[in-house]
Amino acid sequence: MSQTEHLVKRLPNDIGGLPADPIVQTDHLLEPWEKRCHALADVLDFHKIINTEEKRCGVEALGAEMVGKLTYYERWIVAFSNILFRKGILTPTELARKMAEVEARWDEHAGP
Amino acid sequence: MESPDHEHEQAGHDHGDHTHPHDEVGRQDKPGYYDVLETAVRELLIEKKYFGADEIRRQIEVLDSRNPALGARVVARAWVDAGFRARLLANGRAACEEFGISFYDDTQLIVMENTQAVHNLIVCTLCSCYPRPVLGLPPDWYKAKPYRARAVIEPRKVLAEFGTIIPDDVEVRVHDSTAMVRYMVLPRRPDGTEAYSEEELAALVTRDTMIGVVPARIENGSTVQ
Repeated sequence: MSQTEHLVKRLPNDIGGLPADPIVQTDHLLEPWEKRCHALADVLDFHKIINTEEKRCGVEALGAEMVGKLTYYERWIVAFSNILFRKGILTPTELARKMAEVEARWDEHAGP
Repeated sequence: MESPDHEHEQAGHDHGDHTHPHDEVGRQDKPGYYDVLETAVRELLIEKKYFGADEIRRQIEVLDSRNPALGARVVARAWVDAGFRARLLANGRAACEEFGISFYDDTQLIVMENTQAVHNLIVCTLCSCYPRPVLGLPPDWYKAKPYRARAVIEPRKVLAEFGTIIPDDVEVRVHDSTAMVRYMVLPRRPDGTEAYSEEELAALVTRDTMIGVVPARIENGSTVQ
């Protein structure tokens, strides 16, 4: 087998049957933003803006490094942003402006 | 969103001199990058009228209303009502809806019955699909690589890591979920529960029994999640 063949045959999400570590029975209560992110995913699905398979593909399209290093809902919200850009629903510029606005609002509200 | 903890945290602040609405009451730490990203995406979509802010709030309430106790009631009913059990195995979604559990998505539900001859296990190798309308959100381990990778190739070893030893003469069947088709396990009713009420039976049915990683046991009753 060539050294890169496994990369062609397995995309990042396709891990069924691979060797892996013992199960560690982890769980955590969702952070408020994680729960909002989950609700956002459901509402995007209800409105036929992003469906479950598009979401899964969007996560996979982040590439192996991000899939490996970001947490579950971090992957989701980054994937949603990319999908929304691709569909022409949001632009990177307006998202960057809105993020700056959200941060400024917090600074003004909470202050140092 | 506002838990008693948040209210408690807020009590230490002076919030008396501002009147603008905000939805992040009690936040102590500066929101992280992904928190800001989520807020920005959501607010932009609301501004563009793709959906209303109330829809997010309502869906959070829906998510909060779903937990394994719902699935446990379904299992207990199936244990005491042969007709319901047959309908549940024939069409999981329709039987759950008949039982009063609404499905907030387009998914189908297939319920797999454990018997003396077959033990069932559910997994989503590609991601995290799960019967959320009936069980709530999956635990983190269900979404993590070790369970997703190994459940389909060495299920008996995986089960043993949950303390579940399946005899060699019992077949293990693993069901890999998809975006549209979700599975739930109907565990075996424990011996010695002939006199139990439906409610007492439901208390024996934990989340993990419906994923299939452990059997329902009488002693589960004290550890219902």
